[in-house]
Amino acid sequence: MPRPSLLFTLSLVLAVAVAAVSQHAGGALAQTPLLGQTRIGVGPAPSWHNTSWLNTDQPVTLESLRGRVVLLNFWVFTCYNCTNTVPSLVDLDSKYRERGLTIIGIHTPEFPPYAGEHDKGNVARALEKYHIKYPNAQDNDSRTWDLYGIRFWPSFVLIDKKGRIRYEGAGEFHLGDATYQLWDGRIQELLSEQ
Amino acid sequence: MKTVLLGLALVIVAVSRTAQAQTNAQPLAVRAEPTDSATRLVLVAAPGWKINARVKPALELPSGAIVRFDAPQLTADSAYFAEPPTARILGRVATVRGMLKASVCAVGEQVCRVVTLKL
Repeated sequence: MPRPSLLFTLSLVLAVAVAAVSQHAGGALAQTPLLGQTRIGVGPAPSWHNTSWLNTDQPVTLESLRGRVVLLNFWVFTCYNCTNTVPSLVDLDSKYRERGLTIIGIHTPEFPPYAGEHDKGNVARALEKYHIKYPNAQDNDSRTWDLYGIRFWPSFVLIDKKGRIRYEGAGEFHLGDATYQLWDGRIQELLSEQ
Repeated sequence: MKTVLLGLALVIVAVSRTAQAQTNAQPLAVRAEPTDSATRLVLVAAPGWKINARVKPALELPSGAIVRFDAPQLTADSAYFAEPPTARILGRVATVRGMLKASVCAVGEQVCRVVTLKL
């Protein structure tokens, strides 16, 4: 029968081991978002306050979209993974806009202004090039990016009709692939809710 | 028994530090190659990382000047550098100081992220 002090020491060592391993596992997961990785049921969506918009006459607010399903796409036109995903978003927009989906592009530059990503004309040209019809906000100060705790391009946040974040994820996907089907199914799920 | 416990604790600390070091490993490094009257900077990606060529890496020098890296060889989709991009600064230096920014993508992750390195 081990002495109590020995049991205590063993427990302490085991606890340290578990803590060390789990801390590393969490960090590694956060560092490597895999294709289609998502968080589910995150909470109320925060309101964005971007002032510079494209493909819309006036700023689009979260409050004005209550009753619609909203898909935020954090992207930048210099990101290859982002532009590769755009055809899927254009497709989802054409399929579900009339049924209550609003896709909003949050254009967040990666680089300082000298790289040209902040320039509204450049963003407008990218929207035209990729046939993007849905509203896009310029997020040049990364305020909305930070508000949503985004870390990677492209990222996605799916908000339900009551303004709650229901799904989040990051990573390129393509028309018809498994991740596209996943997002398509989630959109249909939220559209079917009252 | 105490020796066993001490050994176990040391192993745990070593494993944890190794894991932390791997997590914090930088995907980029800058190599300075002095030439006659200038320095050629070579931006090298660690294995498993690609450098986004659509937004050229930048080195913000302490003077405020910005040096952009570039390379003629890109991948077939013109999205990434197919060879280490280079930049040139005046003067011969063995080490360079400044803030390096680059957009990088890890193979298989399908996302981009910005790396900022203080040199």
